[in-house]
Amino acid sequence: MTDHGSFGLEPDDLDGHTIDELSDYLDSGRNPIDPSIESSPGCRMALAALERLRSASSQMLEAEAAIEPEPEEGWITGILQNISREVRSGRSIPIPHPDAAARLAITEGSVRALVRAAGDSIDGLMIGRCALDGDVTEPGAPVTVSIDATVYWGRSIPQVTEQLRIAVFESLALHTDLDVVAVDITVHDVHLPPQADADGKEAGR
Amino acid sequence: MADQERRHDLETADDRILAGRAADGDVHAFEVLVRRYGRLMRVYARRILGSNADVDDVVQEAFIQAWRSLPTLTDLGSVKSWLMRITSNKCIDRIRRRRDEDDIADHDPGAPASTTPEGMWAARSLEDALSRALAGLPEEQRRCWVLRELAGYSYLDIGRELDLPSSTVRGLIARARKNLIREMEAWR
Repeated sequence: MTDHGSFGLEPDDLDGHTIDELSDYLDSGRNPIDPSIESSPGCRMALAALERLRSASSQMLEAEAAIEPEPEEGWITGILQNISREVRSGRSIPIPHPDAAARLAITEGSVRALVRAAGDSIDGLMIGRCALDGDVTEPGAPVTVSIDATVYWGRSIPQVTEQLRIAVFESLALHTDLDVVAVDITVHDVHLPPQADADGKEAGR
Repeated sequence: MADQERRHDLETADDRILAGRAADGDVHAFEVLVRRYGRLMRVYARRILGSNADVDDVVQEAFIQAWRSLPTLTDLGSVKSWLMRITSNKCIDRIRRRRDEDDIADHDPGAPASTTPEGMWAARSLEDALSRALAGLPEEQRRCWVLRELAGYSYLDIGRELDLPSSTVRGLIARARKNLIREMEAWR
């Protein structure tokens, strides 16, 4: 490394302390206060520099990611093809059939997909995870569907969740023989509808 | 609702929604996560690995691993830091494998590509200056520093992952800090 002159980081410049010690001191939140560090001008300069380094570090990856070119489509497709081969079927849900010899079943994964599709048919909310609570492998056993959702800003939560509840009941009644006793919906956030922040901004947190 | 429109809604959905749908088997939701965090994971992996060489493979593996493990993720809202952790684990696997392969060569990290003064002047921000300074560090210093400061590993964990005594790790990181501070303070 080039010598940049005056900025001293060796024990001689730090009244006998080391950069390693000073880093640990910062990690501790400068608590308890160490008077021999705090009263040393050399240490205080080094602490300030360490803090600048730390704050730059915490921003660096995001800054690099912002100018990183988009990965090639082929690379993304490679991931998606790979994962599509691994289906999440979950439990097997029997469907009664008049012919006793016929054995029909659908997978838990396909029931989740039905719930998702029902959610996607409702304007004003977005559903996330859903769970089927109850022994779905036992015909006639009571089942509760739990759904995580966000509602768009300005939409009535009771109204859209009621629409969702009805859509889920109807879809599962139409396509399955599950005895759905309840549809529990947890709204974990209210957010701006997509149109409002559609200019490529990240919605993650 | 039209498919197009729904896809657009997914792109603006929050992490918890996307991770939840992906955990339930929604490939489209997972694709949005790949596009949202793929670049961050790639720059992160590049930092840990120290080169471009295995970035494509390592981040792909990380995403595939993430897809498999998503159903067990309890705090869906923290999917971003979870993805970053999987990425650093995959990088460390790769580094270990590489080292096992060229054990005979007694790997020489080589001289650090020194950061030219011109390069430092061209830095647009402190973060940019740090990026450049980091690229000039010797490999082991950089790797230990990245795991400590960007991945949040303890000295002990880094030592365990890289088969180094934690006192060595401590020394390498202290040297890395000094080198980085000198470069950054010169830039300021």
